[in-house]
Amino acid sequence: MSQNDEGREPLPIWFFVGVILAVYGVLVIIGSFVTGRPTVLAETQPGLWWGSLMVVFGGIFTAIGVVSHRKG
Amino acid sequence: MATIELAGLDWAIIVLYFVAIIGIGLYLRKFTKTGDDFFMGGRKNSSWVAGLAFLSANLGALEILGWTGGTMKYGMFVSHFYWLGAVPAMLFLGLYMMPFYYSSKIHSVPGYLKLRFDERTRLLNAVSFAVMTLLMSGINLYLMALVFKVLLGWDWHVSMWVSAAAIGCYITLGGLMSAIFTEIVQFFLIWAGLFLLSILGVMEFGGIGNVMQGLPSTMTSLWATTGDAGSNAMGVTWLGLVMGLGFVMSFGYWTTDFLVVQRAFSSKDLRSARLTPITASFFKMALPFIVVVAGMVAYKLVMDPASGFKLPPDPSDPSKLWNDAALPLLIVRYYPVGLVGLGITALLAGFMAGQAGNVSAFNTVWTYDIYKAVINKKATDEHLVWVGRVTTVVGVLLSIGTAYLAMQFNTIMDYIQAIFSWINAPLFATMLLGMFWKRTTSTGAFWGLLAGMIASFAIFMGFRFNLVGPDLASVLTLSAAPSDMTRNLWQAIWAWLVCFGTTALISLFTTRKTDAELVGLVKGMTPKVDEGKVWLFGRPGFWAAVALIVVIALNAYFW
Repeated sequence: MSQNDEGREPLPIWFFVGVILAVYGVLVIIGSFVTGRPTVLAETQPGLWWGSLMVVFGGIFTAIGVVSHRKG
Repeated sequence: MATIELAGLDWAIIVLYFVAIIGIGLYLRKFTKTGDDFFMGGRKNSSWVAGLAFLSANLGALEILGWTGGTMKYGMFVSHFYWLGAVPAMLFLGLYMMPFYYSSKIHSVPGYLKLRFDERTRLLNAVSFAVMTLLMSGINLYLMALVFKVLLGWDWHVSMWVSAAAIGCYITLGGLMSAIFTEIVQFFLIWAGLFLLSILGVMEFGGIGNVMQGLPSTMTSLWATTGDAGSNAMGVTWLGLVMGLGFVMSFGYWTTDFLVVQRAFSSKDLRSARLTPITASFFKMALPFIVVVAGMVAYKLVMDPASGFKLPPDPSDPSKLWNDAALPLLIVRYYPVGLVGLGITALLAGFMAGQAGNVSAFNTVWTYDIYKAVINKKATDEHLVWVGRVTTVVGVLLSIGTAYLAMQFNTIMDYIQAIFSWINAPLFATMLLGMFWKRTTSTGAFWGLLAGMIASFAIFMGFRFNLVGPDLASVLTLSAAPSDMTRNLWQAIWAWLVCFGTTALISLFTTRKTDAELVGLVKGMTPKVDEGKVWLFGRPGFWAAVALIVVIALNAYFW
């Protein structure tokens, strides 16, 4: 890609992937505390641990994106 | 069946996806200035970015829903479409074909045909590819609307127009790079949103061994039942599988279909371009852990009336159960609020990325191989970017038109499902001869490609209108009453054989290009790729060998 008018390269895709995963992870965690229809294996709290995993991976990808953008 | 209820949080997740992809398109707009930016993603991508996009351009929601449902019918045989039917071809593309594609700095696969052969072969392929991508994009749109109408109760027209508008918006803004970004986001969303289904399914049964226990042997083996077509649910022998799926269909798709190959062209250098399909092959191998495991879990649940898991009637044939609904119904079974939104967003992203891939490939082929080649040969780079943006909008509108056509005339689906073997299977023969036999002539390539396409179409129409009796069917497919799958495989094999034979024969009697004209385009006429001082872990050959060993091991384990 070309540089923008300020002469900067675009942020890498990993940054966007990281932010989306982290934000979705937080929403999934919030969802695990919402009372909804009954689901199978609800007692294992899938929203809680899967959402947490998404936040961790999201954070890692965001960090990779920021670091690689700074390196240029 | 009752539709799936979405909570406010689920809707928030879906709306956020639209905001994110249009936001990415708006952001990338500032960096999209030249033709290389718009059509080739700037040619600066690493093999990771290009590799994930290469895989994701193929990885649609249709495939995931279809093969999860397909597993309930064919069992582990579905894995053949991910391992035998993809990995060898991806490795061959990376190791042997990419140097010719990438080094010639072409914008498209038809562009290679112009350099290697002539304008008429390029035009024949460009026009057929453009039609195919638009039809595929429209069908994707139609099926997305169908799935969401039945499962979520969404309005047909709103589903189609909103998703098509979002796609048109972000590709018009950022071109191929927008498509690549959203494809990679889709890849992660599919794993985040759907892999958990397999995990929870296995947890419910208490382990993968318990899931597989009690399944018929035809569902749990890859090769053991392929000695006789009647012994497996797909009705195909190992020869049909290897030649049809493993060779012609797989190589035809993965090595010549510009939709996927375009992602490799966006790489920053030749080594990254070669690593692109090789990197993608590892992720392709992993996909059965979503679709096959989820399909087996769904099968076991359906077999157990006490589970409460029931498939709805097929919307196109209510006398049958709708296997393709298995995955969304697993979402309903296992996912609480929030995760439901994530699962639906993963499917939505899968549908939209599939359309976006088709639209971005269409705008490149139209702009460079039809518009610039035939209509306006002196077009400037700036003008071509403008044409690409206009073509994107037109392509999206034509896709919507195709979707409405499919809604009115359901039989169009039969034709579109077969279109691949009319176009890609013979093209693979043309490419193979063009890249590896310098004697192949332009005249031979053109008439061979045309003959292969016609042969494939004729066989399809013969079966479609019951003109092929059992005797001829036995000759054509090695089965007197071939299944749709078997017919498709053999149709592709015949298309390839006719194209290969015709091209080779005519080439022997017509004039070929000089050696000087073939430099960089044909093996033997091209200097060997020098990878320089690259350490072992950076070499395409090393990773291709690892991928091959892994895929062989998987096949041996599930023999």
